[in-house]
Amino acid sequence: MTLSSTPLVSVEQMYFHYPRAKISPGGSGWTLHDISLSIDLKSTVGIVGESGSGKSTLIRVMCGLLRHQQGTVRFNGKDISEYQGDGANELRRQNQIVFQNPRRSLDPRMTIRRSLTEPIRALQDRTPDDDELITSIKRVGLGPEVLSRFPHQLSGGQLQRVGIARSLSVNPTILYADEPVSALDVSVQAQVLNLLMDLRDQMGLTLVMVSHDLGVVSRMCEHIIVMRHGRIVEAGRTSDVLSRPSSEYTATLLKAARAASLERS
Amino acid sequence: MLNLRNLRVTIDDYEIINIDELTLQAGSRLGLVGESGSGKTMTAKAIAGLLPNEAKVSGEVNFDGQNLLTLGDRELAKVRGKRIGFVFQDPARSLNPMMRISKQVSEAIRIHTDLKGKAVTAKVTDLLRQVQLPEPETLLRRYPHQLSGGQQQRVMIAAAIAADPDLLIADEPTTALDVTVQEEILRLLISLSEQRKMSLLFVSHDLGVVRFVCNQVAVIYGGNIVEAGDIDSIINRPQHRYTAALLAANPGMPKDDNFSAFIGRRLQTITGSVPAVGRFPSGCRFRNRCQHASDKCATTPSVTASSPEHRYLCWHPAQGGQS
Amino acid sequence: MPDQSKELTQDTSIATKPSLGKRLRRLPITLYLGGALVTTFVAVAMISFVWTPYPPNKLNLTNRLASPGTAGFFLGTDRAGRDVVTELMLGARNSLYVSVVSTVVAMFLGSIIGLSIAGSRRVLQGPFTRLVDAGLALPGILTALVLAAKLGPGNTTATLAIITWQVPVAARVTIGPARQILALDYVEAAYGYGRTKAYVLRRHVLPNISPLLIVLGSVMFAAAILIEAALAFLSVGVQPPTSSWGRFLNETQSLLEAAPYLMFFPGVAIVLTALGFNLLGDGLRTVLDPQQARTGVA
Repeated sequence: MTLSSTPLVSVEQMYFHYPRAKISPGGSGWTLHDISLSIDLKSTVGIVGESGSGKSTLIRVMCGLLRHQQGTVRFNGKDISEYQGDGANELRRQNQIVFQNPRRSLDPRMTIRRSLTEPIRALQDRTPDDDELITSIKRVGLGPEVLSRFPHQLSGGQLQRVGIARSLSVNPTILYADEPVSALDVSVQAQVLNLLMDLRDQMGLTLVMVSHDLGVVSRMCEHIIVMRHGRIVEAGRTSDVLSRPSSEYTATLLKAARAASLERS
Repeated sequence: MLNLRNLRVTIDDYEIINIDELTLQAGSRLGLVGESGSGKTMTAKAIAGLLPNEAKVSGEVNFDGQNLLTLGDRELAKVRGKRIGFVFQDPARSLNPMMRISKQVSEAIRIHTDLKGKAVTAKVTDLLRQVQLPEPETLLRRYPHQLSGGQQQRVMIAAAIAADPDLLIADEPTTALDVTVQEEILRLLISLSEQRKMSLLFVSHDLGVVRFVCNQVAVIYGGNIVEAGDIDSIINRPQHRYTAALLAANPGMPKDDNFSAFIGRRLQTITGSVPAVGRFPSGCRFRNRCQHASDKCATTPSVTASSPEHRYLCWHPAQGGQS
Repeated sequence: MPDQSKELTQDTSIATKPSLGKRLRRLPITLYLGGALVTTFVAVAMISFVWTPYPPNKLNLTNRLASPGTAGFFLGTDRAGRDVVTELMLGARNSLYVSVVSTVVAMFLGSIIGLSIAGSRRVLQGPFTRLVDAGLALPGILTALVLAAKLGPGNTTATLAIITWQVPVAARVTIGPARQILALDYVEAAYGYGRTKAYVLRRHVLPNISPLLIVLGSVMFAAAILIEAALAFLSVGVQPPTSSWGRFLNETQSLLEAAPYLMFFPGVAIVLTALGFNLLGDGLRTVLDPQQARTGVA
């Protein structure tokens, strides 16, 4: 149980480098530098940055998929390295990821049914029956006929919905979405984004969304973190940061994003 | 300068493209906008003569008065490169990783001009400079993997304009690039087009990008051009329901920094998804997904022009007008 | 809350499964051809346990080198008067036994080694792969000869020799693709919900490299048949009186003047069996690929 003042996830002075990276005394080689941030329960946070900014790496460290070398990462007040044994499973269950490319995040040789049951089998040691799966699949706007299909028989949008259903099947507290709509067409993007918004509201999820698209983030996220070269450049409420950016980099990003975007009122 | 007429492409008995008319004026920049499965890339390939072998093509692709579809392979090869240049989506995949930059850019020069030796190198260096690459002389000897994505794309553009083509066809040239780099590349394309009086056919799924670069746009759905004309007219007063829906689904950026009103507002979606090839309804291809469809839509709409610069095919257009 | 049911009902553009008859007709021809060939040879080998035209090794010294079509000898006889058909049938037994056993064991060991290396820590992968390469570099025939010297010639020696030869091949071939799969998102997703690496290797990597393994297996079967024949040819494999295609082929070498046609019989048998396995492997691979086993309009 969290006290209302304790953030759900907090990161203090975290540094991360990939296993075989060469760390020079000057500090190059680290993928993430001096990251400090906090995420409140039920908030929606967008992490933006260009390629190489480390945003995808950051969420993987935050949810425990990658292990940081320096600093602290806490989930629900407890250091994530202290979640051992059954606790480790519980940490996994509460932290789920939706990946960017649905065609790569689902095993092409497993039926949708099988892919959907994996998290529950792994984390809760039981196999859900079809009724449970159908509820899960209906919640993301798909019908039960997809269960017997293979990934290659579904469209990108349908697959991404399956990916979302899969991560939500274990009722996580926080959902990390790594560029969840970048690989999708505009009209399908809109469907999936709306879906994420609805599910977030229905299930009381905390949502952390990585995106390179400022337009998408400004629609979905009340809070924003701007990253560049593995560091946090700026963070705060989206409306504040984007209407009055304090960093020149954010301003440049904004300008570029505006240039290639449609102006909407 | 480029005019498509009655262009039909079929693969395996499925009609992939059916375009009655599409025109690109000299010096103009036309955006061809569609989602995946719309046929936009196929159209670009049809113009380039790069369709797969199984494809059956009929109609006219008139380039400067000549129907490219009637040309044999060798004549077509002469046109490609010399008069039409191409820029593709992923520069990492379109550049040969084993070839130095200078060689890749100079290929077109060697094939289509009489320049040799030092003159070629000089031209390549000049081209690299024109695409705003820093220190072009050093870049000549580099390999693609030593360049960033944005730089690679500039190299591709340099190679495409090397023989001074009249038309540049770019298929999603900035989709794989970061947003700041994208802006630079788009500005580069605009300036090259203006300086060289080179027409541009810009294929993309992104209406925002197209609005930035192009002065004309054609929206393609299910292999048909559903709306075409002046970009501002179409974006501000879209007539075809698909165009309107596409615009509504685009997240865009808020006007005047009004971000607080933006957040949490749901996007308007288009019900369903693009049907697979061969599963489009008869008549108006969009009617199964359209909120405003009626029985009339089972017959293919005829072309209506709300102004000389704005044509569409819809029985129930968004802004009213004849139906 | 806006009505999502419209999106629900529209999102069903999924292919349907056609009838069984239709699916059988869609199966690749390689599967049928290969299957037919392999089944024929297996059947012949099996039948040889119960019946052969003549008892094994029955010598007909009065009828040596009879040409095909001579009364009672459909394909003729060999130098010692043994009926060719009988020899071929008995030889089939041998070839199939050795090639099946050696291939199955080599694939099993090789893929386990390959998968383990792919899943091991980065630092260790290099040295281990080099070890496998060293195994690849061992000259196969030489190993066989050495084994024969220590264990004496025979089927067991031949089988062991082939296994030693093929395990590094199977291992080497599995490492690369296994590593590629391990880098994919769905593997990361599996770790994300707590799966161990061993599970991932077994349940995600292995099925996804199975097309490769099937092709590998069929090629290795074919190779094993050829190697067994070669070893018998070199008198390292089975010895008389056991029949073997390789040994048969060996004998026909010296008969090029007297009966030049004789070498075709064991030769063709070997080629057709090897071909059969190749085709079968190709067909199986196509059939087992969920994307290739087309189930309707995409």
